[in-house]
Amino acid sequence: MQSRLGLKPGTPPLVALRGVAKYFPGVIANEDVNLAIYPGEIHALLGENGAGKSTLMNILTGIYQADAGEIVVDGETMAFASPVEAIAAGIGMVHQHFKLVQAFTVAENVHLGWSQTPARISARDLEARTLKLSQDLGLAVTPGARVSDLSTGEQQRVEILRVLSRDARVLILDEPTAVLTPAEAQELFVALRAFTARGNAVIFISHKLDEVMEIANRVTILRGGRKVATEWTENCSEKGLAQMMVGREIVLNTLRGRPEGAGIGAPVLELRDVSLNAGDLSLLKNINLTLHAGEVLGIAGVAGNGQRELSHLLTGMSTPSEGAVLLEGQDVSRSGARAMAQAGVGHIPEDRLHAGMAPALPITDNAVLREYDRAPLAKGPWYLPRQAFHLAREIAKIAEVAVPDFAMPARNLSGGNQQRLVARREMRIADKVLIAAYPSRGLDVGAINTMMRYFVELRDSGVAVVLISEELEELMNLADRIAVMFHGEIMGILPAEGVDIDEIGLMMGGRRAA
Amino acid sequence: MSTWRLQRLPAASPLVSLSARLISVVLALVTAGIILAATGKNPLDLGAQVISSTFGSSFGMADLALLFTPLLYTGLAVAVGLRIGVWNIGAEGQFNLGAFAAAGVALFLPGPPALILPLMAVMGMAAGALWILIPTLARAYADVSELITTLLMNFVAALLVTYVATGPWLDPSGMALATTARLPVEVPAVWDIVHWGLPVGLILAVLLAVAFGFTRWGYEVRIGGSNPGNARYAGMPVRRHLITVMLVSGAIAGLGGMMEVAGTVHRLQGGISNNFGYIGIMVAVLARAAPLGVIFTALLMAVILNGGIILQPQGLTTQTVLAVTGLILFYAAIGDEFARYRLIRNAKPAGTR
Repeated sequence: MQSRLGLKPGTPPLVALRGVAKYFPGVIANEDVNLAIYPGEIHALLGENGAGKSTLMNILTGIYQADAGEIVVDGETMAFASPVEAIAAGIGMVHQHFKLVQAFTVAENVHLGWSQTPARISARDLEARTLKLSQDLGLAVTPGARVSDLSTGEQQRVEILRVLSRDARVLILDEPTAVLTPAEAQELFVALRAFTARGNAVIFISHKLDEVMEIANRVTILRGGRKVATEWTENCSEKGLAQMMVGREIVLNTLRGRPEGAGIGAPVLELRDVSLNAGDLSLLKNINLTLHAGEVLGIAGVAGNGQRELSHLLTGMSTPSEGAVLLEGQDVSRSGARAMAQAGVGHIPEDRLHAGMAPALPITDNAVLREYDRAPLAKGPWYLPRQAFHLAREIAKIAEVAVPDFAMPARNLSGGNQQRLVARREMRIADKVLIAAYPSRGLDVGAINTMMRYFVELRDSGVAVVLISEELEELMNLADRIAVMFHGEIMGILPAEGVDIDEIGLMMGGRRAA
Repeated sequence: MSTWRLQRLPAASPLVSLSARLISVVLALVTAGIILAATGKNPLDLGAQVISSTFGSSFGMADLALLFTPLLYTGLAVAVGLRIGVWNIGAEGQFNLGAFAAAGVALFLPGPPALILPLMAVMGMAAGALWILIPTLARAYADVSELITTLLMNFVAALLVTYVATGPWLDPSGMALATTARLPVEVPAVWDIVHWGLPVGLILAVLLAVAFGFTRWGYEVRIGGSNPGNARYAGMPVRRHLITVMLVSGAIAGLGGMMEVAGTVHRLQGGISNNFGYIGIMVAVLARAAPLGVIFTALLMAVILNGGIILQPQGLTTQTVLAVTGLILFYAAIGDEFARYRLIRNAKPAGTR
């Protein structure tokens, strides 16, 4: 084992986790995780969202404390009460969202909150120190530059320099390439290889199979908070990894059966060569998608691969940088969210509390969000609270939500009740299309079944439903076709009937459909 | 043995909230009374004196009304901002600017009062809106916190008013040291020395209550103020509403300044805003940004301020009065929290089954 990494037999791991467990109320975030990281290796941590990767790393870096198990560094059992203690033991992490002070220079950021920073030092000396660190560690940065002026890749380099300058021997990177261009990613890989060549180690969190295959010596797969396996990457195939990552028991219980007369009809909503850019970053690339009446289109993919942007485009919340959105042949690219809703496009957003509701406002206000501006709630410029109350009561009734007091803030409802209320509110206006983003997230099985029943009901009445989900089971049971997204692109659209789950897993990792 | 414990309620009932408010006012007065007693004064005597001087004569009532009127406007101005999640700390400055613009019109534009008074009102509102324009645009387009910007504009406004009142616009008769000449027009009185500013303010409160509660615009402002992300999701023009509401807030404070200079003071002078803008923040917070609630909280603040003026011969300073208002706010915040709890009695002692 050690010899395969070019180490003397008997070399102890730099850091080891033994039987680590972490429980949150009602959730097992990690259980019985064993992991040993040896000098000189790049160790990938692979898993879907919610597999427990981040929790595990937060335990290793002292952000969380394990409920069971131990952390062993250089043969010594450690308990980190904070990230400061972890970095003192040589374990540092670069988070997905950088923790840099935008208004400070690179040199200032590197030296911020560091015991070795001299108490009084001129800007020039600070920059000289930074330059030396940057040369010693082989990470090219401009010490005098302001962080806000740097590209994402450069900012990441500053973050890494910050961690390495504190003598980290184990560098943890949380999905480092998610924000990088391919060229920047290659630069990062070169720097990581140089770092491990000096006898250090990298833990590389990712859910991108190609990357893992390219950079990692070994890979540990987590699923449901538990370790599935640790393997040498050269013994793995992308397909095998995908299987281990998503490979759960899929309960096939298809809901595709339709009553007499309900079937897939004419195209309703269409995306034509749509791209979406934010500055230099390409969020969506060349999306072509046609939705038909009475069809359920599933969107699979690891969260953060453009699903949110896609749902915003389909519902008028954002306008495409290129291409067009057509609703029944009409170009609606620039119509805006209100017009789309009025035209019969409902939207269950992925983020209930930030987008779907105003949690601090009464249930009535939340229930009537889509219909406050039409009769009978509105009369000219007037809004009729009494009518709003009646509508809210009606929506709560069909959503099967027991509301003791409609003046109560919506945040007092349980997550499942909030979601049912939003779903029913949107279904009322979804005459043509319903976009549902992660509708079952955070719901229990019963609530999920209710949600799926809603979608079947809509579909059978001739509405096109887009179901964005991480739950393959959900997609395979309900969708007629499944589109897989990766890096803002659609890797392919497969008929859901008899689809090979391994193929979807591969596409989620960046393979195009055959 | 039974034990008591606090249970948190999902929402405070309106009745409990209201009583919490009343209790907080009483507690603040009691606290102030204890402190006064400790300094050797008899708080009950002082209280009786305030009540008899305020409510015992038509003079007292008229004085009260003259304090009530500006607080009504500044309280409404702040409350309107809060509706869309904006803290207009600058009602003080907008009030000053409204008074400044109205005085300018009155002093330098000859004409019949029927024409000049409406023009003064319009210019007062425009000046108030202008004074919040930069904070508004900074907030709407660059997300700059209006807390700081509106506050800083206050100092500029106060200095501007003092400057013109002691400099270019100084009373040419030489009779006054630091004010302009008496304005040639005035807001007509409705009763005694109480002018039309009071009924107009009351009507304004009602109109705002209707606008917020019973129009589609009011609904959109409510959503946008509570959760801008939710408003964007629904396709509401959040930025446009933010701008409108902030400008309206400034205009209301400006109108208050116009009424003050043209109805009560009749001359523009430094310090004409008299902290009304800042006390307006308390008025609005105590009223929970409800326009109709502002009527009551502004009246309460007016009684307290008036009490301070009455007691000045007894050696009480304005600072004491401001301390009392601070105490009220303090107790109200505590009361708000407690209104969400109720005491329940555990049937069995803790730890047994």
